[in-house]
Amino acid sequence: MPTESAPVLRVEGLTKRFGSVVACERVDLSLHPRRIHGILGENGAGKTTLMRMLVGLHTPDAGTIEIDGQPCEISNPVDAATYGIAMVHQHLSLVEPLTVWENVALGDNHRLDPAQTRDDVVRLGERYGLPVDPNAVVADLPIGLRQRVEILKSLRRDPRVLILDEPTAMLTPDEAHELFGAIKQLVEEGDRTVALVSHRLDEVIEATNDITVLRRGVVIERTASTDATADSLALAMIGTRPVALKVRTATASTGRVVLRISDAVVAGVEGQRQLDHLNLTLNAGEIVGMAGIENNGQHELIDVLSSLRSLDGGQIRLDNNEVETGSPGAMEAAGIAVIPADRRDSGVVLEMSVAENLALSDTPIAGRLGLIDLDAMRTSAEALIDEYGIDCVGPDAPMWSLSGGNQQRVVLARELCRNPKVLIAAYPTRGLDVGAVAFLNEQLLAAAARGLAVLLVSNETDELLTLATRIVVMFNGSVIGELTGDERDRTRLGLLLGGRTS
Amino acid sequence: MNDLIRAVGDVVTSEATWISAVTFAALLGFGAVGEWVAEKSGTMNISLEGMLLAGAFAGAVGYDVTESTAAAMAFGALGGVSVAAVQAHMSHHLSADQFVVGLTLNIGVLGLSGFLDGEIEPQTARAARTALPLLSDIPFLGDALFDQPWPMYLLYPMIPLAWWLVYRTRWGLEVRAVGERPNAAHASGIAVNLRRRQSIYLAGLSAGLGGAYLTIGVIGSFDTAMVGGRGFIAIAAVIFGGWTLRGTIAGCVLFGTVLSFRLSLPLVGYELNNELLTSLPFVVTLLAMAVFAQRVRAPGALAQPFIGMPD
Repeated sequence: MPTESAPVLRVEGLTKRFGSVVACERVDLSLHPRRIHGILGENGAGKTTLMRMLVGLHTPDAGTIEIDGQPCEISNPVDAATYGIAMVHQHLSLVEPLTVWENVALGDNHRLDPAQTRDDVVRLGERYGLPVDPNAVVADLPIGLRQRVEILKSLRRDPRVLILDEPTAMLTPDEAHELFGAIKQLVEEGDRTVALVSHRLDEVIEATNDITVLRRGVVIERTASTDATADSLALAMIGTRPVALKVRTATASTGRVVLRISDAVVAGVEGQRQLDHLNLTLNAGEIVGMAGIENNGQHELIDVLSSLRSLDGGQIRLDNNEVETGSPGAMEAAGIAVIPADRRDSGVVLEMSVAENLALSDTPIAGRLGLIDLDAMRTSAEALIDEYGIDCVGPDAPMWSLSGGNQQRVVLARELCRNPKVLIAAYPTRGLDVGAVAFLNEQLLAAAARGLAVLLVSNETDELLTLATRIVVMFNGSVIGELTGDERDRTRLGLLLGGRTS
Repeated sequence: MNDLIRAVGDVVTSEATWISAVTFAALLGFGAVGEWVAEKSGTMNISLEGMLLAGAFAGAVGYDVTESTAAAMAFGALGGVSVAAVQAHMSHHLSADQFVVGLTLNIGVLGLSGFLDGEIEPQTARAARTALPLLSDIPFLGDALFDQPWPMYLLYPMIPLAWWLVYRTRWGLEVRAVGERPNAAHASGIAVNLRRRQSIYLAGLSAGLGGAYLTIGVIGSFDTAMVGGRGFIAIAAVIFGGWTLRGTIAGCVLFGTVLSFRLSLPLVGYELNNELLTSLPFVVTLLAMAVFAQRVRAPGALAQPFIGMPD
């Protein structure tokens, strides 16, 4: 890495754990004046955690932070500001009902001076080409302008180190281009340093001077941007992990089309689309893997297929019959089963028993007059416990007493026992141990072999590469590319994840 | 029909009606001004009822000990603040559910003040009226607003002061931010729960003064039933007012007027079923809420605890 001058900020051995999950492990990083440093990585690679430690929102478990060679302790964002570090957050840290100038003033600690603050907003906005009306209410502004407010808020404290966390995630290409122009200007005028956190390969190569790639909390690669190629970065980001488990890939299917999603549109805020004319077909007997960096529309699609949301355009047809979207229970009734992404939130009710959880979506057990037939419920629960090998003391065991893997088996048993035609598995192995993962993978393959159309939404590259017959990649709300057969390799997948189609 | 119109005319033109209405509105105002600040910071502070009652009792004890109206008011303020201390630290330090804490406090203060009242039997007297020169000569409203025991006059500066605090100081900006988006405020370096605790303390201070005003300025003695649910009506006034101070005060005047009918109607010579009159303010409150609740926007994080930054 080229080092023309002493680093402004240097971290060594920075480590942060959340429970048993290691978010950052012994990360070393040096930020130099007048340079833009790209921090690249997949979801959960530890980028945001690392940056939050630099502004005092997380306390490191180990490691040191030095500024100008002086070790320092940063315990909250106000400390960080006094050291000259400011962060522009990905999920904007603005208070929408307040005005622009009020938001900009938040986090200062001197007397409130509205006139001065308004002047600052106008002055800084003109200087860096980020104009915004200081008296506007933030809630009335489009996302691009809100981001400006956030940046101006940071710039007003005249930071030496400015951290931008996924700044282009919600911007149009034009807005992103403008933003990078402003960032370049920022770095060139004044001895500033910018850390740019991103997962977008192109923008990182174009906009930065140095690049650090993180994977699973560990620094994988450091390089100068001029030496980096999209291919090399994609591979570093995704990794070449040895496949832990030998699993068969579902046999390539020539089955009939079961589920057809055409031109699906879900509108987001400010004219942006969370799903943008998405087209996808699922055939009987195949597992389709869906990859994509967070916030590219996967969650919206899952919500639509769980009847939690309606489409603003397009349609969903199952066995050529249109299914009404956004009507509770309609997808389920049509034969779409869903293993939800957040098991504890929407998969199971932890306070209820295994039998009750298994019966949650099975209305016949409700028996006559809306009364539950307890015997029937227990009998059917016992059968499912046997069939799916759910490890519990019995049907009456409370759900919270089960391990994560067994909770997931309950979800799977409940969803599959109704003989669905389509199974949507959203991050089904997240947080499970190796044995549970293997069981789940087997079950997905078995389901496909029985003729179900399976959609496996996952962040686990290995899982996708081994299980799926074909892999579709989501980007900005639509399928940006599809990999079948021999095309399914890490480099191609990495490029697609980063938004590269060629 | 003519009778009804004449009756309304009689009531509206009677000074006794106005005095009674203003007295009740002032009591609600003492409670609502502080409650408004607490709710702006994101706390639905239902222990307001207990704060008023604690203020009323502490005011009575203060008067008994010192025989000074000023000292009684100070005692009252302390009484309200001590309830606030429990509410604030239980709900915004130990993260206990704010409603459970509030409910428990209301019941606890009721029991404790009743017990202590029996033990101490504080002797109190109603403070004399002080007419403010010129202002009290205003027709109709002059006597009601400006010829009252002086503790009531404390409310007048409190209203603009609360507005200034919330809308013109950094503290107030931070209070509004933590009430709307605590995560954003936290990311900006603001101590969310500290600001919320401070806002509850303000509610305790203002309600404590209100309680003492009720004992010393209105009734002249303490009784555990004297607050009688009006703390909840003060909370309703904040909601009715759509979390604006102007609307909150309007709510206090409206609800205060309805509350006063029970006293003022017989004075001008009209009879209405007593039980019906007692329930009238609550019915009006419900109706007002049904009409207005949909049209107003509550602070974004009202009644939501702030535990920490999500990962």
